[in-house]
Amino acid sequence: MSTILTYIAISDGKLKRSSLEVLSHCKSLADASGASCEAVVIDANASSFVDGIQKYGASKVHVVEDPIFKNHMNTPLLKALSKVMTSVNPSVFAFASTEGTKDVLGALAANQSAAVIADVASFELIDGGVKAKRPVMAAKIMNNTEAKSDKVLVSVRSGSYDLNESPESAEVVNVDFSMDDSEMKATLREIISASGDTIDLNEAEAIVAAGRGVKDEEGKALISELATVLKAGIGASRALTESGVYDPSLQIGQTGKVVSPQLYIAVGISGAIQHVAGMANSKVIVAINKDPDAPIFEVADYGIVGDLYKVLPPFIEEIKKIKS
Amino acid sequence: MDADRMVLNAYDASAVEEALVLKEKHGGEVEVVCIGPAKASETIRKALAMGADKATHILATGDEEYDSASYAKILSAFFKDKEYDVIGLGKQSQDTDSGLTGSMVAEHLSLPYTTNAVGLEVENGNLVVKRQGDSGQEMIELPTPCAVTCSNDMNDPRIPNLKGIMASKRKPIDQVEISSLGIDESELQADTKVTSYEEKPARQAGKKYEGEAEEVAREVAQLLDTEANVL
Repeated sequence: MSTILTYIAISDGKLKRSSLEVLSHCKSLADASGASCEAVVIDANASSFVDGIQKYGASKVHVVEDPIFKNHMNTPLLKALSKVMTSVNPSVFAFASTEGTKDVLGALAANQSAAVIADVASFELIDGGVKAKRPVMAAKIMNNTEAKSDKVLVSVRSGSYDLNESPESAEVVNVDFSMDDSEMKATLREIISASGDTIDLNEAEAIVAAGRGVKDEEGKALISELATVLKAGIGASRALTESGVYDPSLQIGQTGKVVSPQLYIAVGISGAIQHVAGMANSKVIVAINKDPDAPIFEVADYGIVGDLYKVLPPFIEEIKKIKS
Repeated sequence: MDADRMVLNAYDASAVEEALVLKEKHGGEVEVVCIGPAKASETIRKALAMGADKATHILATGDEEYDSASYAKILSAFFKDKEYDVIGLGKQSQDTDSGLTGSMVAEHLSLPYTTNAVGLEVENGNLVVKRQGDSGQEMIELPTPCAVTCSNDMNDPRIPNLKGIMASKRKPIDQVEISSLGIDESELQADTKVTSYEEKPARQAGKKYEGEAEEVAREVAQLLDTEANVL
């Protein structure tokens, strides 16, 4: 029987929702094709996540637990993934397309002589491989890509699939893992975190994103207040991360994060194609911009033409009222 | 998807810029390597005009159906017996956005590597890379030789000036045939293939609300609750 394996990423001590979305999809593919649906989790506390993983239909969970996985480092992660892949021999190995995944996907494919399709919006099984849809050209065009191989790696954009609980009582396979210091090719000196309590944009249900129209501390304060009221993550256009107004990890767009929350509020963002490429799959888009011809209005479900400094205070107040 | 004019990929331009900055600070030589058809020489000249010292053009016809893995094998075969401190690459191409080739090359050559660099420094002969990760920036120290893929967020690539453009015409471009690199053609056969393209269904523009700020703000907030059901 063939196996569809899903890599479950852990970030800041939590299961990444985007990984569970991929697992939900793999479970339905496995059910339809008679394959076995398995998962692998690699973390310093990997075994503590088995409960959360089996809820989404994995019948077997491969657990690689070692303190070295406290922080992302590609050398040990690649070693662990290669080891699990060699022993499980999956026909498909699926990942959420996180920065962690992007750091190792090509290397893993080279190491395992596997075919690979990165950053897809959807994928399905075909005879002898996988067929996927990939947004290309700043997400203006979709290409259909086929991988013909007995092992295919595929990484999936967050928000591409819905979570779907399908509880299993999974068999747990503890994978032996050890790594000598001498095998470490690089040293992680430190991690500069944006700030401890920011919401991961790939996981956020709602995102408030700031653009060039947000000019000062007052504007930033309005963005923060709206985000707090909505329990939303804060994102920014490239203009504001490049000028240092917001942390680079908050950049949304072709070169930053690609997000697809339920609600995306673009504040003072003109809507360059590179930005739209990173947010066009959001369920509901609200744009606030004083330029009625701003391209962001072409993708917005609700466009408010007006000065954000005048629009946001009553907007926030009204949402507070609705929420209370 | 062939364009008439070839352009230097934005991420690759950032890798070239960063190499030039490191050279200015620490000395050394910057060599650019490009796989492409004859007309890619224009792109190579641009990197030379920015200030790279020399170039290698690995000739492809442009009709090959190569994928990232094929290109990674060609580059790895080229670099195998070369001496270098750092192989810098763009983190992805700006048309296909796959972002696979860099780490594939590193794996083939058993090099320490990192991806999505937003800053590079050299300290005690090691490369110190600031990498944009999922939730923060990682400071990673790599011994040389190593490979690093670059984000376009690390710099603004310089625009070649007239002097650079004139000088670039005298700089050497080595032409190399893929067949001379000792790879079996069957190894380059792509496992993945783009079978078709389709227009992405465009998002329909919704309604624009213009008028008195207070009024439209409250109206849209209400609609997000009652109509869109997202609050």
